[in-house]
Amino acid sequence: MPLIKPQRSPDAAPARELERDCASLVISLNNPSPVTRRWAARDLADCPGSSGALVARLGEESDASVREVILTTLTRLGDAAAVAGLVQCMRSDDAALRNEAIEAMKLLPDAVAPIMRDLLADPDSDLRIFAVNILESLKHPDVELWLREVIERDPHINVCATAVDLLGEVGSAAALDSLYQLKARFAGQAYIVFAADLAIKRIQQD
Amino acid sequence: MPAPSISEEDFHKFREYFYRKTGIQYEVSKRYFVDKRLLERMAATDNALFRSYFTMLRFQASGEELQVLTNLMTVNETYFFREEYQFKCLVDSIMPHLVEKKRDQTTLRIWVIPSSSGEEPYSIAIYLLEHWADIHNYDVEIVASDIDTTILTQARRGLYSDRSIGQLPLPLLQKYFRKSRDGYQISDELRGAVEFTRVNLSEPADTRPYRNFDVVFCRNLLIYFDDLSRKTAAETFYDALKPGGFICLGHSESMSRISSLYKVVKFPQAIVYQKPTERQP
Repeated sequence: MPLIKPQRSPDAAPARELERDCASLVISLNNPSPVTRRWAARDLADCPGSSGALVARLGEESDASVREVILTTLTRLGDAAAVAGLVQCMRSDDAALRNEAIEAMKLLPDAVAPIMRDLLADPDSDLRIFAVNILESLKHPDVELWLREVIERDPHINVCATAVDLLGEVGSAAALDSLYQLKARFAGQAYIVFAADLAIKRIQQD
Repeated sequence: MPAPSISEEDFHKFREYFYRKTGIQYEVSKRYFVDKRLLERMAATDNALFRSYFTMLRFQASGEELQVLTNLMTVNETYFFREEYQFKCLVDSIMPHLVEKKRDQTTLRIWVIPSSSGEEPYSIAIYLLEHWADIHNYDVEIVASDIDTTILTQARRGLYSDRSIGQLPLPLLQKYFRKSRDGYQISDELRGAVEFTRVNLSEPADTRPYRNFDVVFCRNLLIYFDDLSRKTAAETFYDALKPGGFICLGHSESMSRISSLYKVVKFPQAIVYQKPTERQP
C-alpha cells in the first residue's frame, strides 16, 4: 500500500544533539543561518533575561521569519526590557517594524500599563498616536481613562482625533465632560467637532 | 426597563470586531444566530446593555469572555469529508504541484492537527487512494496529532457513528468500513496507514520533532487560540514544513491575519498558504 507509516514516530524522536543553554542560544542569534537564528529566538522564550539580546538582534535582523519569531518571544517574555525594546521599535523609520511592535504591545497589557502615560506624553506626536493605536485592543480597564486624559490635554489635533474615534466606540457616560471640553478646545476644527459629537451621540444612545 | 437587545449598529460593530479577532465572519443572514448568543452571554455576565458587554469583551484582561463567546459561536464537530473542497484541492492541486517540484522519490509527508477522533486524517487517506492518480508512484505518510489522549485512542480504534459517516458516498462506505453492532468500523488497512501521536501545539518541546512535512492540515483549531498562541502556532508550522510546503486552514481562518511568513496561494478549489521556497528579504 502506498500509504506508509513513518519509520520512527515523531514523538519518539531522540533528544537534541546540542545542549540548549541560554548563553549558547544568545550566541546563536548571530549565526549566519536564519534557521538557526529562528530556532534560537524561539527557544529563548524559556530564558528570562534574554530580552536585551533579542531586541539588539531585532534592530539588525533582515530575515522576516526570524524577526517575527523574535517579536513573538519578546511578547512571551513580556518583561520591562522587552517592552523598552518594543518602544524603541515604535520610534523606528521602518514602518513594518513599527507596526509589528504596536501589535506585540497590544498583547502585553500588564507590562505596557505602567508606561502608557509616559508614551501618551511623549514629545513625539507620532509616537503618541501609536500609543493610542495600542489602546485600540489593549485588554486593560484603564483604557477609557487614558483616552479621556488624551482628549483633555493633548495639544495635537491628530492625536486627539485618533483618541476620540476610539472613545466613541468604548467610552461611557464618564467621558462626556471630556468630549465637551475637547469640542471647546478645538472649536474651529470641523473634524474634531464632528467626531466628538458622534462619540457623544453614541454614548448617549446607550 | 426594556428587554436587552442588539441593534443593527451593534451587530455590525460586533461582527467587525469578531472577524478581526477570530477570522470568523457572519453574514447578515446569520443575525439571529449571532444575536441569540450575544444576548445569552449578556445575561450570563449581568450586562443589560450591549455596549457594556462589548467593552468587557474587548478589554477584559483574561480574555475569558471572548473565549467563551468564541466557543458558543463556533460549532465544534467533525465528520468524514467535512469541507471536502480542501481534499479536492489536495489531490487536484497541491499534490501535483509538490510532485512537479520534486527531484527525488522521497516520501511525501502530511501532518494533520488536531486529529480529533480521526475523521479528517482518514478522509485524507481515502481521498488520496481514490482520487490521486500518482498514489502508486509515491509513498505518502500521514501523521495525525491531538492533545487529547482519549480522543487519540478513539481515533486509533476507528469506530464511527451514523452521523460521522453521513457524508461518505455509499461505495466508499462499503469499501472502507464494516458495519458492526457498535457502528462503522474503518478498515485495518486505513488504521494502519495513519500514525496518531499526542502533541500540544503550544509546547515547543512537543512540536520540535515535527519537521519536513509537505502539507499541514490545521483546520478549525486556531480560532480557539488567543493571538499570541496563534502566532506561535504559525511559527511552529513554518519550521514543520519543508520550503514550498503548504498549510490548509479551516474555511473561516486566515493565516494572513496571524502571520506574514506565508504566501497566499489561490488554487481553483481553495485558498491555502505556502512556506516560501526562497529566503525572504
